[in-house]
Amino acid sequence: MTTEFLDILEMSRTGKTVKKEDWDFEGVVMTTRSLVSKYDIKWDSQEIIPLDDALVDRVFQAALELAETLGVYNVSTSKVIRFSRAEIEEGLQNAPRELVFGEGSDARVLRARKERDTNPPAVWAGNPGVPTPEEIFQPMVMSWMKEPIVDLATCGSLVTYKGHPVVSGEPEEVYATRNELTLLRDGLRKLGRSGMGLLAAQSSVSELGDLCVMNPAFLRPTDAHLVPMLNELMIDRGSLVRAANGKTYGARNASLACVMVGGLAGNAPGAAVVQAASFMLANLVCQADYHLLHPIHIRHVATSTRGVMWVEGVVARAFARNSPAIIVADIFPKSGALTCELLYEVAANAAVISYSGAHLEGVGAADGALPNGTGLEVRWMGEVGHAVTRQGLNAAQVNELVSRLLQRYEPIFSLPEGNPGVRFDQAYNLETLEPVAGWQRMYDEVKQEVRSLGLEV
Amino acid sequence: MEDSLKAIYNAIIDGAADKSAAAVQTALDAGVDPALILNEGMIVAMTEVGKLFEEGEYFVPEMLISAKAMQAGLSILKPRLVKESYKSAGKIIIGTVKGDLHDIGKNLVSMMLEGAAFEIVDLGSDVPPQKFVDAVRENEADFVAMSALLTTTMPNMKTTIEALEEAGLRSKVKVLIGGAPVTSQYAHEIGADGFAPDASRAVALAKSLAAS
Repeated sequence: MTTEFLDILEMSRTGKTVKKEDWDFEGVVMTTRSLVSKYDIKWDSQEIIPLDDALVDRVFQAALELAETLGVYNVSTSKVIRFSRAEIEEGLQNAPRELVFGEGSDARVLRARKERDTNPPAVWAGNPGVPTPEEIFQPMVMSWMKEPIVDLATCGSLVTYKGHPVVSGEPEEVYATRNELTLLRDGLRKLGRSGMGLLAAQSSVSELGDLCVMNPAFLRPTDAHLVPMLNELMIDRGSLVRAANGKTYGARNASLACVMVGGLAGNAPGAAVVQAASFMLANLVCQADYHLLHPIHIRHVATSTRGVMWVEGVVARAFARNSPAIIVADIFPKSGALTCELLYEVAANAAVISYSGAHLEGVGAADGALPNGTGLEVRWMGEVGHAVTRQGLNAAQVNELVSRLLQRYEPIFSLPEGNPGVRFDQAYNLETLEPVAGWQRMYDEVKQEVRSLGLEV
Repeated sequence: MEDSLKAIYNAIIDGAADKSAAAVQTALDAGVDPALILNEGMIVAMTEVGKLFEEGEYFVPEMLISAKAMQAGLSILKPRLVKESYKSAGKIIIGTVKGDLHDIGKNLVSMMLEGAAFEIVDLGSDVPPQKFVDAVRENEADFVAMSALLTTTMPNMKTTIEALEEAGLRSKVKVLIGGAPVTSQYAHEIGADGFAPDASRAVALAKSLAAS
């Protein structure tokens, strides 16, 4: 690649100086608004998967122009890292189309998926970054690692180590991140799935914990770690360190840009453009091996909102159609364990993602704010994704299914207290790692109901 | 609302900075009381912007553009606001806590508070406790507003409150906190005076604390 990472680092220190306020307003807000208008990008909240393919392609073109016009802002130096169109396109061309995660018989090959792909999405199980108490961390991750449909695993962030709070950038982060990897690897060993690939070092909010687990005894070269961007189109020194760390060690760099639907990019159309541009730029500044697709709704947070599902679908399809890349889309619903709505939300999200050409990652139940997720809804996420692929549903059929699921869960967005459900240990038996009877019954009933909607799950 | 104020109101709602400045100038030239322009034209408009945001009609760009329009009008109005007719609602030191670089929420709160006639000293993001303390002392502030997006940076809200206590300033300021993982229970636990889940409610909270 002609644009070497060391050159990018140099640019991040020597580029044009811009005030953060001007970057946000003159840069992101005004440029995105102008491009949304220029490329005539509109959304229809009743059509979660747009039937107009040309619209999807225009999102890709608008994102290319945005990436070239703005570049990435290094918030640590107040400098802008700019790229030419050729450099951005080269980054797209060089993006891996196929990657192996994990080892031995547990290894999985992830490929760039197509729209309406006949191959099922990978099921990447877990609730990345969800604050998790250490006493339930291992049984919680094992509850989804044990599911046969699961291909890869991830986890929440440990909030304590031996009872001591973990604060970003403090030494406790080192303890927590190493402990996280120890518990994950030990959990996999107990389940006889030692080789399963991981997205881990989630307890490392700063780069500190990330740096100390790049060792085969902790994070293996066939595992992945996060290289986040900041909202919007920004990066900082810590993430550049993470990118360099992953690259020099050999682990998979997972770019993560949680573009806000309703944030600086505006509503869904602008958010889709900024999200796609983030991926294009993450190929360079994050040295991304693959991308995590996780837009969030400014008010409701959840990925199961109409706007966020629209963005996830459009962005995954924009890449599938124009420049295939490995994209793993997150499912972070509003609801938590032991609620029917959690299962409806997961089904809608999984159907859109599976159709649109991304892989599945989740479930970050209860907006990812509470440890209220379990292995059962992860199994459900995989079952829905596989069924959509197996049946070869078209966009109109997925839209119909999603519309009927939305009717069932959308009212929870107006509940002032949300719909957090219960903590993991109230929904699962910690000894058997099986769901409690009420949760199992709810799953069985919803499964039957979704079958009646036409999904052969 | 009289026509000159309505023109200012509309310019801010529409986010038209040039029109906002021109409408303020026109109102001043017509002899409208500057305090009336601020309170009945501009602050009412920003309150409406906050309402539209809450209702999902406006998003962050529209709020920012309206705030810019308000600032354009304010730059014309400020020299004409005499101290007797204009009373600040209070001075607020605002920032995201140490370790936290996520400032969109903080910026929205800051903008809406400014639109409600509070004076804002924005320390930006990743602000160490001592910097809050120094700013409170230097500016004789009435409020400290802190934001955190991450559970691992939330403890720095408590650390900042402790730093204010150590400096003997805690009793002189009201402390407001917010951010995605923050709750009213957490605010109570760390000894903050209040929690607001969004920008509009942060304004309501600040007003209510100012009146208490």
